[in-house]
Amino acid sequence: MFPPDVKAVDEDILSFIERGVDHRDDEGFNRLAIRSFALQYKYIPLYRRYCQRRGVTPGNIASWKDVPPVFTDVFKAVRLTLLPSLTVKTFMTSGTVNPDQKGRVDYDMGGLALMKATISHAASGLLFPDRIKSRLFVIAPSPDIAPNMVMVFGMNRLKDSFGLQGSRFFIGKNGFDADALADALRSSEEDNIPATICGGSFGFINFFDFLRANRLKFRLPKGSRCLDAGGIKGKSRDVVREEFLDYCGEFLGVSREFCVNLIGMTETASQYYDNNLKNRGLGVDNLPAKFIPPWTRVLVVNPDTLEPLPIGETGLLRYFDLANRGHICAIQTDDLGRIIDGGFEVSGRAGERDVRGCSLTIEEMSRMTGIMEGI
Amino acid sequence: MEVIEANGFYFPPGFSPEMPPVTTGEYQRGDKIVHLKFPVLTKKKVALLAGYLKEKRDKYLSGMPVEKIVHTLDKASRLWLDRKYPYRKLALKIIPVMTGLSPGAVDESIDVEMKSSLKEDILRALKSETGNPFYLDDFQYSESLNGYCRAFGPRLIVSFFSGNIPALPHLVFMRSLLIKSACLGKLASGEPSFIPLYLKTIEDIDPEMACSLAALYWKGGNKDLESAAFNQADAAILFGGVETLTSVMKRIPRRVTVLTHGHKLGFGVLGRNRLNYDALDALAASVAYDISMFDQHACLAPHVYYVEDGGEVSPKEFAGALANAMKKMETKMPRGALSPGEAALINQLRGRYEFRELNGEDVTMFASSKNTGWTVVCEKDPGIFHASPLNRFIRVFAVHDIFEIIPALRPLGPFLQNAALSIGDNREKEFISRLGEAGVARITSPGNMALPSMMWHHDGIAPISSLLRWCDVEKKENDYGIKSID
Repeated sequence: MFPPDVKAVDEDILSFIERGVDHRDDEGFNRLAIRSFALQYKYIPLYRRYCQRRGVTPGNIASWKDVPPVFTDVFKAVRLTLLPSLTVKTFMTSGTVNPDQKGRVDYDMGGLALMKATISHAASGLLFPDRIKSRLFVIAPSPDIAPNMVMVFGMNRLKDSFGLQGSRFFIGKNGFDADALADALRSSEEDNIPATICGGSFGFINFFDFLRANRLKFRLPKGSRCLDAGGIKGKSRDVVREEFLDYCGEFLGVSREFCVNLIGMTETASQYYDNNLKNRGLGVDNLPAKFIPPWTRVLVVNPDTLEPLPIGETGLLRYFDLANRGHICAIQTDDLGRIIDGGFEVSGRAGERDVRGCSLTIEEMSRMTGIMEGI
Repeated sequence: MEVIEANGFYFPPGFSPEMPPVTTGEYQRGDKIVHLKFPVLTKKKVALLAGYLKEKRDKYLSGMPVEKIVHTLDKASRLWLDRKYPYRKLALKIIPVMTGLSPGAVDESIDVEMKSSLKEDILRALKSETGNPFYLDDFQYSESLNGYCRAFGPRLIVSFFSGNIPALPHLVFMRSLLIKSACLGKLASGEPSFIPLYLKTIEDIDPEMACSLAALYWKGGNKDLESAAFNQADAAILFGGVETLTSVMKRIPRRVTVLTHGHKLGFGVLGRNRLNYDALDALAASVAYDISMFDQHACLAPHVYYVEDGGEVSPKEFAGALANAMKKMETKMPRGALSPGEAALINQLRGRYEFRELNGEDVTMFASSKNTGWTVVCEKDPGIFHASPLNRFIRVFAVHDIFEIIPALRPLGPFLQNAALSIGDNREKEFISRLGEAGVARITSPGNMALPSMMWHHDGIAPISSLLRWCDVEKKENDYGIKSID
């Protein structure tokens, strides 16, 4: 049986999300945040004990900012699910250091409905504010191959909700079919139907390499756009982003104002899009920022003390996501970033550290000896 | 805001064909700014400098009696041990800004390093590695050879330093001087300020000796400059991560003798017979010192302490006592500043341990409350060695029997550096030999992990004798006129 108290909160969150990306209701958000927290406090005993240790109960806090956050890595160690027996969908993290140590996030039917709503409404407001219809080409594994990848779920949802006929995934059992994607882009050119290419940032880089090697270039029809998710590790973010945008223009004929980056993660149901397409529609000429949808909030905290930092200072990003009702709303990441005009920006993973002493580090040890820690 | 000016290089006396133009690096932490000057280098200048060092080494250093060199080094260490010594006072201002280590930790580290760099230690190190230090001055009779031997050091040693451990690269300069080798050091970006001051001390005592010493900084990977240095070298001593070392070594000509010091790690082992209430606080304080020195950034520092079940004090109780000691240490010798990544790593790990603890697993975590200052985690030995995120994060692994840990150490063999043992019964001898077989380079007592002697075979290498070339005289006639010193 789906608990009525959960259902009641879900209905209110859903109508909050369905008001789209252009409303601001701080009080309404805060009320729903505390109500979601109360559910998590009630239904997740482990989380309740965690909050009790900190002296926090739903009754003694006034703001979503006081809800105890949980670090992303915790999902690798324990299961934090509101209604575990009603799980209909589970997403796993990729397990970057130890493949056996994957983070796990479960969704019940109500929670999944919230997630679907965030995907649709964020995309409407930020990827397709011009309501254009396009063929959606996805450089990611199809859902039957990667049923537990949150990005795949999201892109599949985009394909089904926004894609014209001919939309499809291009990573199958035999890997990335770059030839087929090139064919699809050629058809778009010939039929003069806009294309929306989405995928992981690395997938795009692979495709650009393929196009370069095969001396192929496209001039996609007006209205075509690129949506890349995540980032590219190992290099300075700014440099990589600039190159990336140049390649979109050079190889696809998609100008930079039609390129949108998205940050999503397994631990949060909602996604954070660049606001450039949205701003373009409004005639606003701001530097691009990650847009904070009305059903979420972002806090920047001191990496050492985890206390909130003044606006504009760089620290660790903490998300509060109403659509996370099914697990934990307050998620602490180790992504570095800061609040800027129009939203926030991400400046890399704090996890990418420089070595200071002569002691072997965790990463070095796993690279050198193959020893993977599992705690 | 206090601005401190200093040099990020050292040129030997008399080397100033044209002093290259200088750039200034600015480093800020808290209310202090350090301006470090760096010369702009070209391969021609590096080659010129290397040549100068060798020329002066042939002229002065190669003929200096080893006793005189020892005397100078001893005097330098004594100057640095004096709290009023101006260079020390300057170093204590600069190094915390450069490294993020607390001034208390830097103060302690200079004492530790310099106390083990005094005359007696130096002579003992020479003796243990060469048999007779006078082999370095002239031919000496060797009974085992029934002839005469002499040891020669390389003309020029080029050394690449890494990391931010202050007062460590000076050992390389000391050893180079002892075997009468010129030394050109490439400073580490993490701590380029100590060596220029130390070499100035040598210059103040004996300018002729200092003519064979130089220190420079450039960003690692500069092929032109690195080749210019290595092409003139007879030996190279390299510090750094294995991957960096591999790429640097590609630039070293084959004739050059190379010693490498890669990143390593340490651990501790406490046997059940040492775990009693009487000695608990003292033992915990010693272990806390091991963990806090250099905030675990040194390869000597422990990542894990293995604690045996069955003693009067349980592993969990020991972890509690250790937590108290860590708390005290935080006041006495505060931890240094962390990068966001270092802090995030500790917070992520703490989160996982806290939830496992709440989940009823046999895990106990003790941790500083306001920040990531220190963390002690106690759990059953998972059978896999766990590298620490460093910065005063220690795991106490409970084991039924100390010998159970050997299989987990074996795959780490080439990276094992330092082990602190307190076993308290006759299993210790056997245990030590098993650790030696597994790859451990140094075995010591808790509280002593950060304090190796000059005699220590650093990274399992004989740092002095590995660089020597021997000349043996096995002539039977007695008319070659080599006189013995003894």
